[in-house]
Amino acid sequence: MAGVPFGLPLDGVRVLELGGYVSAPYCARLLADYGADVIKIEPPGAGDEARRMGPFAGDDPHPEKSIPFLYLNTNKRGITLDVATVSGAGLLDRLLQSTDVLVENYPPDARPSCLDPEALGERYPHLIVTSITPFGQTGPYRDFAATDIVTTAISGLMYHSGDSDQEPLRNALNQSFYVAGINATVATSAALFQRMFTGRGQAVDVCTVECLASHLVQALPYYNYMGAIKGRRPVRGSGFEELMPARDGYVIPSVQGSQPWSTVAELIGVPELQDDRFASGSGRIEFGEEIHDLLLQGLAQWDRKALHQASGERRLVFGMAQDAGDLHECPHLHEREFFRTVSHPVAGDADYPGMGPRLSGPDSLPIEYQVRRHAPLLGQHNSEIYGDELGCASAELAQLRALGAI
Amino acid sequence: MTMPEPSLPLDGIRVVDLSRVFAMPYCGAYLADLGAEVIKVDTHHNQFVDTTRTLNGPYPDNDPGELYWERGGTFQTLNHGKISVTLDLRSDDALEVLRELVSISDVVLENFTPRVMRRFGLDYPNLKAVRPDLIMVSNTGYGHSGPWTNFGAMATALEPTHGTGAFMGYLDADADGRTSPGTVPNKIANSYTDFLASWTAQLAVLVSLIHRAKTGRGMWIDLAMYQVGASFLGEGILDYAFNGRRARRLGNRHESMSPHGCYPCQGNDQWAVIAVRDDSDWRAFCDVIGTPELAADPRFADPVTRYGNQDALDEIISGWTSSRTKYEVMTILQNAGVPAGPVLDGRDMLGDPHFRDRGYFEPVEHHPKTGLGRREYLTRGWRMSGNDVRIRKAAPMLGEDNEYVLSNLLGLAATHIADLESTEAIGQTLAGARIPASVPLDRQVELGWTVDYDADYPSRPPVSS
Repeated sequence: MAGVPFGLPLDGVRVLELGGYVSAPYCARLLADYGADVIKIEPPGAGDEARRMGPFAGDDPHPEKSIPFLYLNTNKRGITLDVATVSGAGLLDRLLQSTDVLVENYPPDARPSCLDPEALGERYPHLIVTSITPFGQTGPYRDFAATDIVTTAISGLMYHSGDSDQEPLRNALNQSFYVAGINATVATSAALFQRMFTGRGQAVDVCTVECLASHLVQALPYYNYMGAIKGRRPVRGSGFEELMPARDGYVIPSVQGSQPWSTVAELIGVPELQDDRFASGSGRIEFGEEIHDLLLQGLAQWDRKALHQASGERRLVFGMAQDAGDLHECPHLHEREFFRTVSHPVAGDADYPGMGPRLSGPDSLPIEYQVRRHAPLLGQHNSEIYGDELGCASAELAQLRALGAI
Repeated sequence: MTMPEPSLPLDGIRVVDLSRVFAMPYCGAYLADLGAEVIKVDTHHNQFVDTTRTLNGPYPDNDPGELYWERGGTFQTLNHGKISVTLDLRSDDALEVLRELVSISDVVLENFTPRVMRRFGLDYPNLKAVRPDLIMVSNTGYGHSGPWTNFGAMATALEPTHGTGAFMGYLDADADGRTSPGTVPNKIANSYTDFLASWTAQLAVLVSLIHRAKTGRGMWIDLAMYQVGASFLGEGILDYAFNGRRARRLGNRHESMSPHGCYPCQGNDQWAVIAVRDDSDWRAFCDVIGTPELAADPRFADPVTRYGNQDALDEIISGWTSSRTKYEVMTILQNAGVPAGPVLDGRDMLGDPHFRDRGYFEPVEHHPKTGLGRREYLTRGWRMSGNDVRIRKAAPMLGEDNEYVLSNLLGLAATHIADLESTEAIGQTLAGARIPASVPLDRQVELGWTVDYDADYPSRPPVSS
């Protein structure tokens, strides 16, 4: 690839994605971002359910304009295939001959029999089959119905999100399925690495609630070390490490990091905060309410971004609440080349958020994140993949189309 | 004949873990589960020690004890499976030992600020000189380039900075209790961004190992937690790009599913969530809660009217849930095919039949000196059919493996090791230790840090209400 002389890490890895909505599509997108050739298989007609999920580009509910779909499916090719039909299963079999990884997120009780991981493992010993579900492939909740709020609740994370004097609060934007997606990619990559030495594939069972539960490195030992139940954000207290109102929005004042209290107090700018009683953690607990009032006074004189900048310059670690517009226009993210302009024939052009980490090789050559393809239109690569790559004759394709297989 | 131990994906991979606090230490623990030898580079000088050893707790029975730096439950969770060598990096001798260790290792994890790593000569350009095919993760708040590169960061304050607060928050309510989309941001909390960084680093290390196996080339991973956090909210940021929408805070409601929320159940701070996805769920829901007439109520005829009238609907649903336990709500609704679940706290999770049936918690035997005995830890969200991935040992005691690392791995002479000891470059007892004061649990309840506690917890069987 141009600009990447040693190739991307997953160049040459072929992935079939039979995924809907977020978890499996996000897993496959991360693999694609690292260079894998991902073929997304969608049911003929309706396509991935994400196509019906808003928001939509221009707020126009159109199957090619779903923003979650556009974001989650860049760098993939797309075909339609009904794997529940006999002829569809036959085509899937031909595709699997040259596939390294299959990623799917069917509910276990609705998964077509041709996708049974054990049977696949016997027929294609080299294949890695990654299955992502809310509750995993075993256990009493396996077949329960779930949306993001349900997985977040059962994971334990939701109990600890929000304010202690209100109900637990759902997390932002389907985070449980994103977290499941990246965890699936971790286990899949471990299996790919191992396969380089053993030649064997394996099945990976990814459980969304467990992925999210793994975040609770404080709440869990709270109970099995001292029998205590950790709760949500206390609504009393000094206000440090919490969202507090500033002049133009919300900020998070912080005493963390290695600077002395006097630096924190000086930044906030209320002289009464320069008080030895407030300089220790226990003092800030004892005099929490007093500090809280002074903090409100001081922060009311600050705009978010100016305070964040001034904090950073003093080696403090204050945060601020940024919205989607702040992030899209953030000079720091732009200087780090986080965004890529993507043209889409139906949705139009937009600057898409890119990849979290930046990679570079030993001679400082960047392994540059690229959007090689926009999210596929429904069935966009049918002719290319069935015709050119699998060698189906056009008569055969017409027949499959008539049968509803593609 | 005994079968050889099945090999794990990262057998033979050695990781030098210079990292502190949550994100990268946790990454190291997962790499250890996958079979890597992960060497935690500790220090026995209190002012430089990983603060999860000294500041986080929680301690067994809320008692830090004399060896408190070996006894924190959060430290133990984040560092399981590793071995420990102490090296005081202020000592040139210790720095040279560290470089030698890197030269026989595959991966380095670190989360110092760019400035600190350069000062110690431990930045990637220097370390690749001793190990040309090194894979190194440098995890910082804002990354190694850009105008905010020198800003420090902790996940607590970073989380809203990368945007979660734009997409979560309680609804606003007017004087009559009528609700509207929220204007006040809220947080996932629980150091959310640290975990996103940890998963991202694990993935980057694994694909870099694949890349190295194919090309022989190492990799430097410049991991900015701010940028990672933003990538997890990409669909929201892209909504701004297309539509100019800056924020969406719907409390526990949902644009296309209604009713959708978190409802009070029997007991103190007990809750269950319910998500009615469509009209078919709605009819099943009305039947099973014993109010079939609701299904015919024009206020609740379709998702749009239900969303518009959800304040009224929430009152009805709360009336039904509040006389039931959260597990009853789950069972009744799931049996009718409606998505619902209990909001589990730490105690619930440890007793929950699903987590237990899947073996999510793994027992760990601790060194007798720690007084921790045998305890269970949370693990990971995936199983591999071809591997017995599990926690292989407890988190290491400070410098527990000095002898193994310095003598066996690096071949240092006994006199050299004695020198390191006498100059305080290595050590196994925390210098400058001061047993932290523990806040009594009753006081923690008063302060709102703790909701409740079971004084008899060690003797209670796992509960599943």
